[in-house]
Amino acid sequence: MRLFRNKPWFLLLPALLFLILPSYGLATAILESIRGTDGFTGEHYETLFASDRFTASFLFSVRTALIASVLSLAAGVLLTRTFSGYLEKNIPRLSVWLPMVFPHLVWGYIMILLFAETGLFSQLLVSLGWIESSNEFPIWTRDSNGIGIILTYIWKEIPFVILMLFPVYSAIPRSYYDLVETLGGSRWDQFKTVEWPRILPVLLEVFLIIFAFTLTAYEVPALLGTTFPEMVSVLSYQWFYSGSFEDRPLAFAAMTGTSFLIMLGALAAYLYLNRKRMRAMRGRL
Amino acid sequence: MTIQVERLSKKFRIDQVLNSLSFKLEAGEKMSIVGPSGSGKTTLLRILAGLEIPDQGTILLEEKDVTRLSARKRNIGLVFQQPLLFPHMTVAENIAYGAHMNGKKTESTVKDLLAAVNLTEASAQFPAELSGGQQQRAALARALANEPEILLLDEPFSSLDPNLRQDMRYWVRDLLDKRGITSIFVTHDREEAMLMGDKIGVFHEGTFQQFATAEEIKRNPRNPFIVEFFDHHLLLNDQQYVHIQDIQFSEPSGPCITYEAELLQTTFRFSEKVAHLYVKEFDEKITLPTPDDDLSKHIELYIPKDAVQHFQSDGKCNDEQ
Amino acid sequence: MKRNHLPFYFIAGLLFIAPTLLLLVQSFTAPWRFQRGEGLQFQLNSWSLLFSDPNLWSATLWSLVIGAMVLLMNVFIGLTSGKALALYSFQGRTIVESLLLAPILIPVLAVAMGLHLFMIRVGLADTWVGVVLIHLVPTVPYSIKIFHHAYSEVGRPLMEQSQMLGASVIKQFLTIELPLLRTSIRSVTFLTIVISLSQYAITAIIGGGQVITLPMIFFPFLDTANASVMAAFSVWFAILPLVMYIVVEGLLQLLPYSRKPWRIQT
Repeated sequence: MRLFRNKPWFLLLPALLFLILPSYGLATAILESIRGTDGFTGEHYETLFASDRFTASFLFSVRTALIASVLSLAAGVLLTRTFSGYLEKNIPRLSVWLPMVFPHLVWGYIMILLFAETGLFSQLLVSLGWIESSNEFPIWTRDSNGIGIILTYIWKEIPFVILMLFPVYSAIPRSYYDLVETLGGSRWDQFKTVEWPRILPVLLEVFLIIFAFTLTAYEVPALLGTTFPEMVSVLSYQWFYSGSFEDRPLAFAAMTGTSFLIMLGALAAYLYLNRKRMRAMRGRL
Repeated sequence: MTIQVERLSKKFRIDQVLNSLSFKLEAGEKMSIVGPSGSGKTTLLRILAGLEIPDQGTILLEEKDVTRLSARKRNIGLVFQQPLLFPHMTVAENIAYGAHMNGKKTESTVKDLLAAVNLTEASAQFPAELSGGQQQRAALARALANEPEILLLDEPFSSLDPNLRQDMRYWVRDLLDKRGITSIFVTHDREEAMLMGDKIGVFHEGTFQQFATAEEIKRNPRNPFIVEFFDHHLLLNDQQYVHIQDIQFSEPSGPCITYEAELLQTTFRFSEKVAHLYVKEFDEKITLPTPDDDLSKHIELYIPKDAVQHFQSDGKCNDEQ
Repeated sequence: MKRNHLPFYFIAGLLFIAPTLLLLVQSFTAPWRFQRGEGLQFQLNSWSLLFSDPNLWSATLWSLVIGAMVLLMNVFIGLTSGKALALYSFQGRTIVESLLLAPILIPVLAVAMGLHLFMIRVGLADTWVGVVLIHLVPTVPYSIKIFHHAYSEVGRPLMEQSQMLGASVIKQFLTIELPLLRTSIRSVTFLTIVISLSQYAITAIIGGGQVITLPMIFFPFLDTANASVMAAFSVWFAILPLVMYIVVEGLLQLLPYSRKPWRIQT
C-alpha cells in the first residue's frame, strides 16, 4: 500500500532532480541581481532602469518578440485550419515540419542568403531591372527595426505552431461544423463557436512559449541584430562577458526582470483560462 | 482451484465500495456477479485480480493467502470490457504473450487456442484488422493461454452488438465447461448473469444481497432489494412480496388483495402479450404477462392472500458460507 | 468533391521546402551573382573546404556526443515522469505538471548565467558534462510533455493487461511500453538533437569556450567563409539529426515485436 502510493513520486524523482537545474539557476540569477557589497540592494535595478541602453533594448525586445509571436500564431492558425486535411497524410506533414530540422541559427543564415543587401532577392531585382543596384534594396538584415529577426522567427515558428495546433484541429468532429451550418451560422461563426474555444488554451500556451523564447534567445539576434537597439539577450550576454565585474549584476538584473515579465504573462494567461473554465463548469451545474 | 474471500472491505475516500464481503467458490464452479452499474463490481474483480489492494479482508486461493500478492504473480486471468489486445502484436503473438512472459512453451497451446476460438485463419493478423467479436475472442484466448486457475470476466460482451453477444455467451460458457475453469463473471444484465453463472451474487452496497442459484433467487428472494432488482416479484412492502405469476387479472375465489392499475401499453415478449402497468398504490410501473384479450385502460389486479410471501431472514446476507 | 491541391503544395513548397533547397543548391554552386547576369556554377569546393577543416570534425563529434547524452537523459526523465503523470493520480499532480513544464518559459540564458558559478564550484564548468546538463533545461520539459501524452494514449488498462498476463516490470516495459512509444521516441530524438544543436549562448557560458560544438564554430565561419561554404555548413547542421534518427531507429528495431512491418497506423 505504502509503496503503491509512493510509486508515482518514485517515478518522478529524475524529473524532480532535473528541476534543481532551472530553479537553482534562476534563484542564483535573482540573488546575484540584488546582491550588493554588503547585503541586498536594489541598486543594480536602479542603474538598469536609468540606463537608456537597457530601456531601449527592453522595449525593442518586447516589441520584436510580440510582433514575431503574434504573426507566427496568426499564420500558423490560418495554415492549420486551411490545410489540416493534408496534415493527416505523411508526406505533406513531413514537408511542413522540415524547417524544424534546422537550428534557429541556420534559419537566420537563410534569411541572410535571401534578404541581405546582396542576397538572392536583391540580386534578382537588380537582374530584372526593378532596382538599379543592390544599394536600393531595403535593409532587412542587421537592421534597427528588427525585421530580419522577426522574419526569421515567424518563418521558423510557423511549423511549431502547426505542430501544436494540428492535434486540436484533427480532434474536432466534422459534425460540429455541420451543426453550426444547419443552425444558419456563417464560416466566421463556425470558427468562433467550434474552433476558438478549443484552440484558445493551446494558442495561449504556444504564444507564451514563442514569446518567452523570442524575447530571450541569443542566437538569432546575434546573427541578424544590430548594435543599437539590441535584443535584451544580446545586451545581457555582453554585460555578462564584459570583463568588468560591475556589469555582471546588470546582466543578472536584466535577465531576472525579463523573466518576471514572462511569469506575469504566464500568470495572467493561467488566471484567464481558469476563470473561463470555472464559468464553463458553473454553466454545467 | 477454490477461491475463498473473507470480509473484504475497500473504501475510496468516503465511498464504501466493498463492505465485509465474503464468498466461496469451489473448483470448476461458475459464478456471476450482478448488480446495478457503478456499484463497485469492477473494483471487486480488480481486487481479486490483484490490481487493487483491499483495506481489509483476505483472499485465499486453494488455502493460500494471496491478498498482498501482486497481479503479476497471481495466476488469475482477467478479460476486460474492452479486448485490449496489444496493437503491435499479431493475434498469435497476443495469445502467446502470457505464456511467453512466464517462460512456457507456447506453440501447441497457441495452436489449440486459436482453433478453440475460431481464429486460426487470423493468427497472423493485427488486432486492428479484426472485428469486435474476433478481438474479444482473441482476448479470451490470450487470458486462457496462461492456464489461469481462475478466470475473471468483466462485462466482456458489453461492447458487442446484441446478436453477437448472445452467441458469445453460449460459446464462452461451453469453453469454460469443457476446460473446467473456475470463473467469475461480472455483468449488470440479469439474464446474462443467469446464463453465465451456476450461482449468482447480487451485489449492492458493497456486499452480496444474496448469493444463490437463479432458481433459489426466484423462489426465495432474500430482501426487498432482490425483489426490486429482478422482475420475478412485486414488492408489496418491506416484509412482503408476491410472485408475478400469482397476480391475476380476474377475481379469484379465495380472499385477496386488490390494486388499481393503469394500462400504459402492451407489447410482446417471447410471443406472449405483456402489459406495462402503472400501479398507483406503489407509485411504480410493472410489467406482467397478460391474457391475450383486450384490456381496458383501468384494470384491477388481484393477489390471493395465500400467495403473499414474507422475507425469511432480516434481509441481510452474511451466512451461507 | 475534388479539391484543388495546388494552394497547399505551393505554400508548403514556398515556406517549408524552398529554404532547404536554397541551402542545398547554394552549397553545390559558387556564390551567386545574378545581378551580373551570371548563372549557377556547379562546384564541390565548398564541401571539400568544409570537410578539410579539422575544427568541423571535432565540433561535429562533440555535438553528437553531447546530443546523444542529452537525448539519453531526456528519454530517461521523460519516460519516468511521463508515466507517473499519465497513469497515476496523486496529490499535487497538477502542480508537479506545471512545475515540470515551467522551464519552457524561463529564459535559459538566465539559468545558464545563474548556474555558471555553481558549475565552476563543482568542477563542471568548461566540461562537456556541464554542457549536457545545461542542454537539459530547454529540452526536458518538451520530452516530459511528449511522453506524458504518449503514456495517456497507451493507457493504464493495456499495462494492467500485461500485468495480468504475468509480465515482470522490465518485460512489460520492453514488450509493451517501449514498442508503443516508438513514435514519441522518434519525436523526442529529433526535438532534443535540434534544440541541443541550436544552443550557442548557453554552451559558450557553461562550456567556457573549451567545449566546441557546431554552433560554437558557426560565428567564426560566418566571418571567413563564403556563401557556398556557409550553405554547406548549414546543411551539415541538418544531417546530424538525421544521423541520430537513423541510429535511434536501428536501436528501436532491436526491441521485441518490432521487426514486423507496421501494417496499421495507430
